[in-house]
Amino acid sequence: MTIALPRELRRERLANGLDVVLYPDRTLPLVAVNLWYHVGSKNERPGRTGFAHLFEHMLFQGSAHVGTNDHFRHLQSIGGVANGSTWYDRTNYYETVPAHQLDLALWLESDRMGFLLPALDQRKLDNQRDVVMNERRQRVDNQPYGRPYERLFELLVPPDHPYHWPVIGTMEDIAAATLEEVREFFTTWYTPANAVLTLGGDFDPDDALDRVARYFGEIPGGAAPERTRHPLPPLAAPVRERVEDAVQLPRIYLAFRTPPFGTRDWFAASLLSSVLGEGKSSPLYHDLVYGRQIAQDVAAYVYPTEEIGIFLLVATAKPGVTPETLAEALWDHLGRAASSPPAAADLERARNSTLAGIYGHLETLDHRADQLSMYATYFDRPDLAWQEAERYLELGGDELAAFAGSALARAHGVELTVVPDGGGR
Amino acid sequence: MTVALDRSSPPKAGRPAPFHFPRFERFRLDNGLEVFLAPRQGVPTIELSLLLPAGAERNPRDRPGLATLTAALLDEGSLRRTGPEIAATIERLGARLATRADWNGAQIEVDLLARDLATGVELLAELAREPQFPDHELERLRRQAMTELIRRRDQPALLAEEALARALYFDTPYEHLLLGSEQSVPTLARADVVEFHRSWYRPAGAAVLIGGDFEPAAARAMLERSLGDWRDLPAAPPSEILAPRRDGRSVLIVDRPRAAQTELRLAHVGIRRDHPQRNRLALLNALLGGKFTSRINLNLRERHGFTYGASSRFVERRSAGPFVVGAAVANQVAGAAAREVLAELDRLRREPVADDELAETQSYLVGVFPYTLQTTGGVLSRLQELATYGLPNDTFDRALDEIAAASPRDLLRLANDFIRPEEILIVAVGPAEQLRPQLGELGPVEVVEIAPAPGAPA
Repeated sequence: MTIALPRELRRERLANGLDVVLYPDRTLPLVAVNLWYHVGSKNERPGRTGFAHLFEHMLFQGSAHVGTNDHFRHLQSIGGVANGSTWYDRTNYYETVPAHQLDLALWLESDRMGFLLPALDQRKLDNQRDVVMNERRQRVDNQPYGRPYERLFELLVPPDHPYHWPVIGTMEDIAAATLEEVREFFTTWYTPANAVLTLGGDFDPDDALDRVARYFGEIPGGAAPERTRHPLPPLAAPVRERVEDAVQLPRIYLAFRTPPFGTRDWFAASLLSSVLGEGKSSPLYHDLVYGRQIAQDVAAYVYPTEEIGIFLLVATAKPGVTPETLAEALWDHLGRAASSPPAAADLERARNSTLAGIYGHLETLDHRADQLSMYATYFDRPDLAWQEAERYLELGGDELAAFAGSALARAHGVELTVVPDGGGR
Repeated sequence: MTVALDRSSPPKAGRPAPFHFPRFERFRLDNGLEVFLAPRQGVPTIELSLLLPAGAERNPRDRPGLATLTAALLDEGSLRRTGPEIAATIERLGARLATRADWNGAQIEVDLLARDLATGVELLAELAREPQFPDHELERLRRQAMTELIRRRDQPALLAEEALARALYFDTPYEHLLLGSEQSVPTLARADVVEFHRSWYRPAGAAVLIGGDFEPAAARAMLERSLGDWRDLPAAPPSEILAPRRDGRSVLIVDRPRAAQTELRLAHVGIRRDHPQRNRLALLNALLGGKFTSRINLNLRERHGFTYGASSRFVERRSAGPFVVGAAVANQVAGAAAREVLAELDRLRREPVADDELAETQSYLVGVFPYTLQTTGGVLSRLQELATYGLPNDTFDRALDEIAAASPRDLLRLANDFIRPEEILIVAVGPAEQLRPQLGELGPVEVVEIAPAPGAPA
């Protein structure tokens, strides 16, 4: 079995500091343009949350040469697909266009990197604040377990740690954002030296580099902003809390701090989450959902976050099952994961399904370009995008047990119980 | 850079590369089973799918949920293995298996690494032909379904879809959830499942699809071996589902007194997937509410800030599915948002669309099509459409031609024939006290409560 995908990369830095990654793959007549800015909600401060995300919205509201709704209009009218997303550690913007329309994508992205401020106004900000408040209602406030999930992170890290507040921010902070703050945020973080531009797809690298230089080269440079790291050791003492929500069934969340994304222990955490909870034959599903039928669902997963990693277990109780019973069952499984290596079959399942998942992601050009931007942004090594499978396969079962023993012990965990509030819906 | 760049207008495009739908083979085994093979290089994975004419449209009148339960039980025990043995074998290979039913059919889907193709083909045959439907698994899945029905009460978007289906499709199979109801699920017996399987899991009307990294000749031989001797029995086509006639607009409020937002839907019955105007209506819908720059999204989101996103669609099924406009809106603007949607529907029926707006929408749909075919899954889902609705091989090339050729006059006529604001149903899931005064002018209002969960304290 071989991957018949190109892997060759070319990397250049423009004089203004823009990091350019070129990944030619001429299989389909498409180009993925993927731009990462190394700024996310972690660069906000308490009382001013939700800013990075609100700002992402403002970047779709036009720039000096692009009208208010014209970013999407230009791209959609040539059959392009575009969006952006904001995360704790970064914000990305991306579009995939027919290969002969590469210039259009470069024109749009460079215009909002270099010429955004003249087009900003209060009316656009007011409109997008309303949109984002509705986004928050739709994703969090009007969703079962939405606010308890935010509470989980408040319990896991202290108030001055940047993962304490949600990426989308609080309603009060979103409402309070001012135009002046938007301008300042842009000037600080949206500089060429704080960005990675990846092109993936059907182009000639020399020609594409010329085009990138033409559109982005004249944007003034500057030093990359200074950044503070926010590492945290495991929780020193266990944290338990019980909250009510407008739900029918109780749910348990267990959460732990782990080493950050990219470390050997983070990959161990990720593989262990798959060992424990992926598929019907996984120990958690087979025991809690299939066998004892005390859970309606169960999941284990990790966050690919840059300051610390986060390991989570979530299970929803069947009607009539107490949250205490379910929580104890989850702790038992974590205890077993620490006391002995996983069964050979479970480890093999997790390795193979991780491999299949990596292959699946590599299928689309968009995702490959996004991975290249990510590894360039976090580790200055876009080529690490091709090495994820090896990072998982080098881990042994005893290492997973050792990791569970040190990081996933009860003494270091948050246990959050959500119970029905009994009120009207 | 020496010459300053002129940024004042979008750059000129280069020359587009020609695009054709990826090549595939389509043929039948002697027993009538249809086969689609779409090999492609890239990553060493394969996706297999077996479609069976055993969808929820076949549910007996008093057995909503039966097709779904039957499909869910396919991998819970065969002649050869128990459910947990099947799961363990498949998952150990890093493969993913799913069995499910929708309105049009049942599906068994397996994604696996390229080296395991033979295992995948044998598995499809085992699950379709030899399921045993053990009592304890049936009982467990019924309980799981009942729990799922209980917690739907927490999810406003699902409540809106449910209320909409019940109102538009009263007394037809489409009235129900695929999962069934709290009344029907406990009554679904093993004998029902066995009979449903015997009647509808058969090669005539079924199709197997394989996409990804494989040799077509080898796959064909495997299919002959595993499924070639599956005995054929003729199966009656499903009867068409006809929604009751509606007269006039009406408003249905599902009361959630403390909801932070209102899930709003405006809907009426749409068209069948095989309707001759389907492609032009897809174009009309894209312009109205099927893309980010559609009229409805630009109006509700970018002009008014009522919502994070608003969209419309014709839901495609063998019989006519609903036409639905949907958005989650702030509670205090639900009435204003509904009126804006109605105004957009009226405008579409009154004024021909501008040439440039039409051209932009046409080139979006034509241009974005190759993008949707980047993955094996993307190609297979198109081939599934051909199989499910019995469509010819040139369906998608023709669809793009029809879309490219449509005129503003065509769309005006279509809007008048197929969009009917005068009979629209408005569903709003949110605080009734706040919603009733806002929506009362739009039609007679009915407010429904969310029933307490079975076993919950009153």
